[in-house]
Amino acid sequence: MIAYFSNLATLVAIFGILAVTLNFMVGFAGIFSVAHAVFFGLGAYAGAQIALTVTPNPFLACAVAAGIAGVLSLCLALPALRVRGEYFVAASLGLQMVALTLFSEVKSLTGGIGGLTNIPRPQVFDVEVGVLPLALLALGVLLWAIHAMANGSFGRTLKAIRDAESAAEALGKPVAVAKALAVAFACAGAGVAGALFALHMSFVNVESFTLDQSVLVMAMVIVGGTGTLFGPLVGAVLLLSLPSALSFLTFIPPTEVGSVQQIIYGLAMTLLMVFRPAGLLGDQNKGKSHA
Amino acid sequence: MTQLANNAPLTCEGLARSFGGVKAVQGVSLALPAGAVTALVGPNGAGKTTVFNLITGNLKADEGTAQIRGRPIIGLKPWQVARLGVARSFQDLRLFTQMNVRDNVLAATERGAWFWQGGDRRARLAAAEAAMEATGLTALAEARAVDLAYAERKFLSMARILAAGADIWLLDEPASGLDLSSRLRFGQLLRDARARGVAICLIEHNLDVVVDLADRIAFLDRGLVLAEGAPREIMTDPKLAAIYFGDRSHEAAA
Ligand SMILES: Nc1ncnc2c1ncn2[C@@H]1O[C@H](COP(=O)(O)OP(=O)(O)OP(=O)(O)O)[C@@H](O)[C@H]1O
Ligand SMILES: [Mg+2]
Repeated sequence: MIAYFSNLATLVAIFGILAVTLNFMVGFAGIFSVAHAVFFGLGAYAGAQIALTVTPNPFLACAVAAGIAGVLSLCLALPALRVRGEYFVAASLGLQMVALTLFSEVKSLTGGIGGLTNIPRPQVFDVEVGVLPLALLALGVLLWAIHAMANGSFGRTLKAIRDAESAAEALGKPVAVAKALAVAFACAGAGVAGALFALHMSFVNVESFTLDQSVLVMAMVIVGGTGTLFGPLVGAVLLLSLPSALSFLTFIPPTEVGSVQQIIYGLAMTLLMVFRPAGLLGDQNKGKSHA
Repeated sequence: MTQLANNAPLTCEGLARSFGGVKAVQGVSLALPAGAVTALVGPNGAGKTTVFNLITGNLKADEGTAQIRGRPIIGLKPWQVARLGVARSFQDLRLFTQMNVRDNVLAATERGAWFWQGGDRRARLAAAEAAMEATGLTALAEARAVDLAYAERKFLSMARILAAGADIWLLDEPASGLDLSSRLRFGQLLRDARARGVAICLIEHNLDVVVDLADRIAFLDRGLVLAEGAPREIMTDPKLAAIYFGDRSHEAAA
């Protein structure tokens, strides 16, 4: 039972990282990406390769994962950032599809469909460390950084771009640079989550980095409240605990759990958007339309 | 024109732009002298906003040149033009709606896109406070832009311009829909800026406001500057009046 909750807590922390970093893009910069799982995946493969071939030190795995995910997000996002709003969603959707194919095909780096296995436990100075404290540490650092940015000039720049891009540009702000930085930061964070995920599972394959996963993370952000600091974390806790909670309801036959879960997800999301359109922790005035 | 241009931080020559078959702007030349208000008047659809968009780089010019203090600016991006000292307002305001008044104004003092801003943070805060003070928004500093009343929104748009510290202002109908007392306050803002040497271009439909504030008028119709000169000459030209009011009554009838 302890192992069960420790596993759940670790996953919540890892998906919490994904949700708070995606929220940084969506809630502050207004960049709607459905490709967050791609950078999660890049980080996972990078972290796994470091652990398998270089060192079991998790800090190096996380740093390399963050670097690779962050830099690649720049290469991929820069052309896409030239398009606006809803077109970026389509562009990120395309990226998600391409990346998934690459993940399955570039076997030398990703292990193909089978994935990478036997990833060693993380060690710092020859002492094995749990992934849970590492993930909590990373989550804490990221939340602190996001909080600092949100209340500083960078957050203000991103929010200005989100609310009126042309007006922000007319005030001398190079909008593309700010957006690219926001994307790189968020995707580097997703990379860290990926590395921790690989170390935690000790095995990764392409199934963890699908469009479904990207959508799940987006749902966490929206359910918790976009643009809030802790909302996405609440979303991560809820959406990850739901399947476990359902499995405790013994009257649902195990074969039906999947579809019952889908129905509950769907109903809950719909009701939430009707009654709390800005998410659980969101400022409800935001969701309202103003005349 | 040449004599004015010597003292004009912003000049443009022969700007032209078409949209499909519509020649929105066809060969507009302007000089905005420092410390003067140049009113850009003309009927709806005359091309006034398009002239601004061509200068600021929001639209690509088909033809023509523009300079800021002798530096060519055609082809520059809007943020680059802004950094040369141009601040503009938008006909539809484009406030940072979900941000509060103070953040709207502070954002106007921050040009950097990097994780931190260079320069003097205190000076920026002071500029923002001064801009809110001048526009009467200090008491509303914590209110979100979207929750402001109409006139307050117009003044917030002006506060951003003030805070940006630019010396060339392009104002697109900043006084439209203001009541008399707000209009007087707005007039004072403009006079103060003019006294500081700001080159102001003001798009305005209300001829009372134009007569009150403008040092020069450029009359635009169907993308052409039909006349340019002192307010007295332009306002008393019966031909221009016919175009201006003719189009209006035509519009009202439609
Ligand atoms: N982006 C655009 N695409 C297509 N046509 C445009 C565009 N911008 C302006 N136009 C057209 O160019 C002409 C001039 O428009 P502009 O907005 O410059 O007029 P204006 O003088 O500012 O009018 P108003 O007083 O109504 O604001 C109009 O016929 C308009 O429909
Ligand atoms: Mg206009």
